[in-house]
Amino acid sequence: MKNKKSKSYLLALLPFVIVIFFFEIIPLMMIVIRSFMPLGEIGFTVEHYFSIFSKRLYQQAVINSLIVALVSAFVGIFIAFFGAKAANSTSSRAKTFFMSVLNMTSNFAGIPLAFAYIIMFGNVGVFVMIGKQMGFTSLANLDLYTVWGLTLTYIYFQIPLATLLLIPAFEGIRKEWGEAVSLLGGNRIQFWIRVGIPVLLPSLFGTLSVLFANAIAAYATAYALLQNNFSLIPIRISEQFVGDVVQRREFGSALAVVLMLLMVLAVTMNNRMLKWAKGEGFYDKK
Amino acid sequence: MIKNKSSMFVIIAITIYLIMPIVFTFFYSIFAEWNEVLPKGLTFRYYIQILTDLHFMESIGRTLFISILPIVLCTIVILLAMYVVIVFAPQYDKYIQVLSTIPYALQGVIIAISVLSLYADAPAPFSNRMVMLTGTYCILILPYMYQGIKNSLNTVNAPRLIEAAQMLGASRIYAFFAVIVPNILSGITVSALLSAAIIFGDFVIVNIIGGNYFETSQVYLYKAMFKSGQLTSAIGVVLFVITLLLSAGVYFIKNKKLNHGEMK
Repeated sequence: MKNKKSKSYLLALLPFVIVIFFFEIIPLMMIVIRSFMPLGEIGFTVEHYFSIFSKRLYQQAVINSLIVALVSAFVGIFIAFFGAKAANSTSSRAKTFFMSVLNMTSNFAGIPLAFAYIIMFGNVGVFVMIGKQMGFTSLANLDLYTVWGLTLTYIYFQIPLATLLLIPAFEGIRKEWGEAVSLLGGNRIQFWIRVGIPVLLPSLFGTLSVLFANAIAAYATAYALLQNNFSLIPIRISEQFVGDVVQRREFGSALAVVLMLLMVLAVTMNNRMLKWAKGEGFYDKK
Repeated sequence: MIKNKSSMFVIIAITIYLIMPIVFTFFYSIFAEWNEVLPKGLTFRYYIQILTDLHFMESIGRTLFISILPIVLCTIVILLAMYVVIVFAPQYDKYIQVLSTIPYALQGVIIAISVLSLYADAPAPFSNRMVMLTGTYCILILPYMYQGIKNSLNTVNAPRLIEAAQMLGASRIYAFFAVIVPNILSGITVSALLSAAIIFGDFVIVNIIGGNYFETSQVYLYKAMFKSGQLTSAIGVVLFVITLLLSAGVYFIKNKKLNHGEMK
């Protein structure tokens, strides 16, 4: 019966293929193709890519996006490192509690997050008022509506994600290794530099590239804070397709390709770094 | 002991940092005025106002509607594909896996603009915003639905189960849809709830594709930002509670399974 040559079972794959083709593959291919077409006509050009890197407005978008994504990813992973380390060295009840806080707050992103930060650090935000009354000028003069304000907001959603991704990696660090290091005369700092961090390196790099991609493509938080008044790649992309001004889909497609390339770059760098670190240790994508 | 204490300190510090914006949003929503350091005038009128606002209820209804359609569609599509993979052609699984993971890497903006730019001027069924939204959401949740369903199929050891059912005289289709699917129903529910939470929190896709045509609860929240701060925070709190309920559902089902010992 199994040798029946009929391939009619492939019909069951059809719905999947249709959905994937119409809403994933063709749209993506068209973005790449369109990014090489002149505005509103058929042909081939690289002028859009040229203007992304030569016009100040778009240079600024690329730079701002890189700053926000890199800084928030590094600060996020730095805090998450200690968070995940702490989660794995306390009682299991404290860990369960911490995990549920992380899971709960990882849902708090986008517009609600932006608004909460406006309440806290906006022009008449609570902390800004406290800063004014108590005379903390750095708090009083904090401007949420800048690259650094935006970075501050992005760091918030990086932390729960990064910690949740790192906790399983820390579970791989055995207590015995610490004991072995101290038997050999090493202290805790030496343990982390010589054993802990090298073992964690693959997970740290992997998490870092997830955080980078997560931040560089984020749209809702920035849009809620500053609408279209701030130069970030995702904002500039969406403008070209839904803007009140002139729509330039071909140019927007080129911007989207640049965004995708930046994300690919993050993954490639991650792989390079892994190879450089000899790729030892148990790499777990989740 | 010292180590344990410092761990507790780190956990408490991060917890306070993470809870703070939510607490502030909540306080902001229950006070009439917050122009100085301390708020004044405890009130629940903003909650009453939104919970009796028909537009808000409609926006939640719209969000529910636009979540259910893609989730059902995505589940059916993946189950059919997995039927082929498990029963006939395991070699296809790697392609299905790659295709299902791409959207995870792409994120919202790119998925949304690629669909919009392709179909905005296309003929009838595609240029319909609802069709575009449904398709795009389907792609957005695909990685989560695929992974969830795949994991559950692995846990019940689907190929063996099908063999057993066949030995007892069941056809392959019957074995898959009447034996396997009911067994992984809780796994499917977990992925569906997770996907619902993702669509409930989406603003990117609905703002780009739906524009002002389709006001989901996130769009409603965005528009409220320009009207009243207190109202916005009250809406934020209500929406946050809805996502919490969805995640609580996931947690509850997973725990129930744990207790029954049918899944790890």
